[in-house]
Amino acid sequence: MDIGYLWDITAYIALGAGVTLKVFFITLALSVPLGVLCALGKLSRFKILHGVLGVYTWLFRGTPLLLQLFFTYYGLGIISGGRIAFGPEMAAYITFVVNYAAYFTEIFRGGIQSIGRGQYEAAKALGMNQWLTMKRIVLPQAIKIILPPMGNESINLIKDTALCSVITVTEILRNANRVMSRDFNVGALVIAAAIYLLLTFIVIQVFRRLEKRYAYYTIR
Amino acid sequence: MEIVKATNLHKYFGKLHVLKGVDFHADKGEIISVIGPSGSGKSTLLRLLNHLETADRGSIRIDGQYIAKENAEGRSEYISGKETLKICRRLGMVFQSFNLFPHMSVTENLMEAPVMVSGVSKAVAAEKAESLLEKVGLTDKRDAYPGQLSGGQQQRVAIARALAMDPEIMLFDEPTSALDPELIGEVLNVIKNLAAEKITMIIVTHEMNFAREISDRVLFMDGGVIVAGGTPDDILVNPDHQRIRDFLRKIIREA
Repeated sequence: MDIGYLWDITAYIALGAGVTLKVFFITLALSVPLGVLCALGKLSRFKILHGVLGVYTWLFRGTPLLLQLFFTYYGLGIISGGRIAFGPEMAAYITFVVNYAAYFTEIFRGGIQSIGRGQYEAAKALGMNQWLTMKRIVLPQAIKIILPPMGNESINLIKDTALCSVITVTEILRNANRVMSRDFNVGALVIAAAIYLLLTFIVIQVFRRLEKRYAYYTIR
Repeated sequence: MEIVKATNLHKYFGKLHVLKGVDFHADKGEIISVIGPSGSGKSTLLRLLNHLETADRGSIRIDGQYIAKENAEGRSEYISGKETLKICRRLGMVFQSFNLFPHMSVTENLMEAPVMVSGVSKAVAAEKAESLLEKVGLTDKRDAYPGQLSGGQQQRVAIARALAMDPEIMLFDEPTSALDPELIGEVLNVIKNLAAEKITMIIVTHEMNFAREISDRVLFMDGGVIVAGGTPDDILVNPDHQRIRDFLRKIIREA
């Protein structure tokens, strides 16, 4: 293996990293707000909403992400007789956003619920309405609690993007796989692994910093 | 003049009948201590007055304005949540477990409600916070976080936080019950100093000497009703009721 060859396949696989990062950031950017909304819905007084959201999180946390990808990419087209058809990347975005929002819903719900009743009562006694109480008192404290599980999910998300390769999204693993089968050479997989390690390392560092930023106070 | 008036208050927690027809009133500037065994409904009464709990039956008036009014079937009917919140802003509350906001510094705790609820400017709120910290003797802790303070210090901050909203009535729900014995004095002293300002205070407490010293009137609750009320001497020194005598004897034995 000469340097030129290594450089070529690394560049090709790294091209896939761009797509991987796109899936990563679009998923985070959309599933986090969606998860917050669903968590608040689960904590609201509307019983029907609880039921709907309960089915939603059960469905998407209870079936394989790979199956969901297949369903969005192939299944919807078959059911709708071709009227609903997404390209590979769009199918990946949709599936990942809906899937990860289901996990975030449960993480956020747990985080919000771990804030004690005393905080709500103190806020109310000071005349704060429910919206102010959420925005100023509960959510800022919940963020500290959800950071560690969010870090875990973000690492998972980096790795889960590899599943997109099976619906022909040209991300890291798909490109590595193509090189491997073309050249009958495992080096491409090693390079892919190194890129994943680099990406997850960065995610870990970002969350370590965020946790440090919130370390200035303790929740009893 | 009656600034707080509650009539025929009933409260159920599930099947548990916690308040069984309580009539309560407080005059402007009056200092009232509520004593009695745990589970007698003292805290529940306090929490009904500022709408942390809702009454099942009976009426509550703050300065003549109804927040809950008994309807024809005897049920409590509340005015809108927005209106109650507004009226209840005239009451400050101090909790047994302080309930400071842990993610905010001491000064930020004191500024939060004035700025976010009353719309006071940050500069004015900060100035007010500083003078309140002086009052409770904690100016050196202005930038500390609640987790860095002792229980006594936290409770003094909590008192200052309630005062930051300029309440006309202060409610104290067992303010020293969660404190180590050596920290109780500093909190009681702060409350005593407030008494000199003639702000209306309703205090649920187990500190009998404190209650005797500070109160205009002492109420004894047991089993969800107010059994007796009178001057501190009437209730705490020469009580007519056997139940009060039993209660006081028990408290003294424990102390």
